[in-house]
Amino acid sequence: MKNTISLLAGLALGVAALPALAGEITVYSALEEDEIAAYLERAAADMPDVTVNLLRLSTGDLGARLIAEAGNPQADVIWGFALTNMLNPAIYDQLAGYDAKGEDALGAQFRDKDGRWFAPTGYVGAFCVNTERLAQLGAPVPTSWEDLKNPAYKGEVVMPDPSSSGTGYLQIAAILQGAGDEAGWQLIKDIDPNMAQYTTSGSRPCRMAQAGEFAIGASLSYVAMQGIDEGYPIQMVIPSDYAGFELEANGLMASAKNPDDAKRFLDWTLGEGAAEAYAARKDLVTIPGVPRSPQAEKAGLPEDLSSVLFPMNFAASGEARDAILTKWRETVGR
Amino acid sequence: MSAAGKRVARGLDTPFEERLFQRVVLLVPLAGLALFFLYPLAIVIWRSLLQRDGAVGFGNYREILALDHLWRVVWNSMVMSGLTALICVSLGLVIAYAMSRSRIPLRWLVSLALILPLLAPSLVQALGLIFMFGRNGLLNYLTGMQMQIYGLPGLVIANSMYALPQAVMILAVALRYADRRQYDAALVLGASPWRRFVDITLPSLRFGLLSAGFVCFTVTITDFGNAAVIGGNYRVLASEIYAQVVGQMNFNMGAVVGILLLIPTLLAFYLEKVAAQRGGTQEGAIPVEPDRWAPRDIPLWAASYLTALFLIAIVAVVIFASFVQLWPYKMSLTLKNYNITTHGGYDPLWTSLYASLITATFGTLMLFALVLAQRKMSRGPARLVYLLAIIPVGVPGLVLGLSYVLSFNVKPVFPGILYGSALLIAFCNFYHYHSQGFLTMVTGVRNVPRQLEETVTTIGGGVWANLRDAIIPIMVPTLISVFFFLFMRGMVTLSAVIFLITPKLSVGAVSVMRLDQAGSSTQAAAFSVLIMLTVLAAMGLMRLLLLAQARYNGRPGKGEIAA
Repeated sequence: MKNTISLLAGLALGVAALPALAGEITVYSALEEDEIAAYLERAAADMPDVTVNLLRLSTGDLGARLIAEAGNPQADVIWGFALTNMLNPAIYDQLAGYDAKGEDALGAQFRDKDGRWFAPTGYVGAFCVNTERLAQLGAPVPTSWEDLKNPAYKGEVVMPDPSSSGTGYLQIAAILQGAGDEAGWQLIKDIDPNMAQYTTSGSRPCRMAQAGEFAIGASLSYVAMQGIDEGYPIQMVIPSDYAGFELEANGLMASAKNPDDAKRFLDWTLGEGAAEAYAARKDLVTIPGVPRSPQAEKAGLPEDLSSVLFPMNFAASGEARDAILTKWRETVGR
Repeated sequence: MSAAGKRVARGLDTPFEERLFQRVVLLVPLAGLALFFLYPLAIVIWRSLLQRDGAVGFGNYREILALDHLWRVVWNSMVMSGLTALICVSLGLVIAYAMSRSRIPLRWLVSLALILPLLAPSLVQALGLIFMFGRNGLLNYLTGMQMQIYGLPGLVIANSMYALPQAVMILAVALRYADRRQYDAALVLGASPWRRFVDITLPSLRFGLLSAGFVCFTVTITDFGNAAVIGGNYRVLASEIYAQVVGQMNFNMGAVVGILLLIPTLLAFYLEKVAAQRGGTQEGAIPVEPDRWAPRDIPLWAASYLTALFLIAIVAVVIFASFVQLWPYKMSLTLKNYNITTHGGYDPLWTSLYASLITATFGTLMLFALVLAQRKMSRGPARLVYLLAIIPVGVPGLVLGLSYVLSFNVKPVFPGILYGSALLIAFCNFYHYHSQGFLTMVTGVRNVPRQLEETVTTIGGGVWANLRDAIIPIMVPTLISVFFFLFMRGMVTLSAVIFLITPKLSVGAVSVMRLDQAGSSTQAAAFSVLIMLTVLAAMGLMRLLLLAQARYNGRPGKGEIAA
């Protein structure tokens, strides 16, 4: 028995103890599973000599993992990670400045002035509206946060709790930045009676709406698009008043064991190959000249996203975070 | 007690071999606990003391305790876990009693139903509950009711499903050993069945009942998964950790809540006191034969069957959903959900199987050694060991997982080499469930009559003879229960493990979560069904081996509650 155990132990450790090989990079990402698969296929074609070892976790879990690993970082590259979380000093301080090829083509709000991150893509806050359930209720499809005040939606709206979900926070921040403090809080207060739940996770509201548990789930564009793709009776609505958005940032880890290939990978995320891959599926691309994706078109995203997006100030919303969360608890009290 | 026995019991004349054995069975499990539990826990405590301003102190604690919503959340947690523990201990007692003291028909079916919640990932079980009882679930759809599952009721149901099998495991072990002569004597004295239950059975179960209650309360107060899916607006302490760590990326505050959640484990002080009142099993105890008595059996069986039916129904919904095109909108059947193309396909399942076998084998050996050692220790040290063994149950999975990253992702080769290995995942899962295994073992070993050991020693048997002839034969059913318990939890536990997977190493439970996150609950259900099948197949195989060995040794294998 003991021999077997030590043998198994040896096997287990063997897997772990492999050193970083040239041509291999470790990438941590919070992008969606299916898009990662598509991008990596393209990356493999564009850079056949680089093997990408990828760990995919949800934004919150990945953030926790990155902070926990800070003493001995394992990743070379962070790819497609919510900018708000990237700006957390515990993570931002782990990044190295690197001006990726093509970064200067991005607007100033889509890259760090010290070159630690840039964001070629992003996603938009969106409602998932279950048209079947709404039809049963005989209520209209909402088009804005203001619409959600309609008493017809009582107990039928779900949104993420901003204290546990970045998505929830981005929605609240967009309302507050858009409407101003006073009107913003009033709106949040007015919608509250219709809110059935404030969920822990940011995608859960949309999942609930797609399962028909509730009529409206405030979530994110890509989650809604996944649901539409799967065939659920879901309509995606970008709120016409305060559509918050989040950027997906990329950055080089200061401790990267294979910085050369890591940099090549980062260059690739801004290059032609990646842009083509984004165009096939992304709803928000910041690289100039990339056309709207078919999925985004099907889901009803406007040609010019900037017409609906509220200009978010990420740095300001990060600083105000604690105060906003405290006030949110007071206002909503759940 | 013979004179020689007394001398041995006092540690005089102890042969070298026996002293060595005592050392090994104590020190090896303690070293494991120190490295894989105390060291990570110490790091969590350290983090909880690191203040925002960089100083070290109790500032974070003051900040958390000053939150006005905290006390409501604490109260919510207490109510939820209290209710869950109450339900699980009473229902667990009924079921364990029906299974071991009455001739319940279809016993195997009830056994099977009871392990279902242990071998299905909790995420999927919560989905099953929503598919069944949700606003758009089967029941509301079929009956036109508007039942509300979200909130306290759903949370108590989901957590009871999770905790009940653990309560039954402990109570069944507690009930297994009793001396029929006591019951016969009571019968002769004219005691009614109720009196016999109250005067003989209950007192002998006291430790088991308290342990089960303790486990149910603690595992549910630290569990966050069900609260997230089905808890609605009913906030509990465990969700507060999630909000701090994952939502606001505020580790040190999360650590504070994690440490506060250890408070219920202080109950263990009292438990240990009861444990010290050693079991009264006599040498040559005659096992209590299950019997029939309709007035008792009918309600017991009804409760057992109803519970089993409920547990089976939830899993059946999950299995059904795994074959459905698009729940609940296109109910046509399909096999497409089983075509898993997510990262790694089915590979993580094999990693899980391998890691879980290590968890179960290593864990059972360690726990058995620890209870053997603890049994021979004097009061004070035994108490320390006991407390140490029981604290892990109070640590939430999320906190344990992160503490493992902080402890093992280090530059020195040891223990850094463990980071990113399947072995570390295996250890993490074992120490996560250390307490439940330990309490089951202690409950079991209390019933090994000391006189029997002394007899074996007196007739010249050494340590090994004692183990082989006195302790192991009585402990076999307990060892099997613990082994299978650890194995099943290793296969499906997610909370801690999610921080230990790497690009090259993932496990089945993570695949389930990924599929759910990618929007396909039916594929998540399909993967869970495969995990369940794998576990059942592996357990069936192991049982066959055990049976074959028992036959070879001429010892009939006993039916187990957990298998």
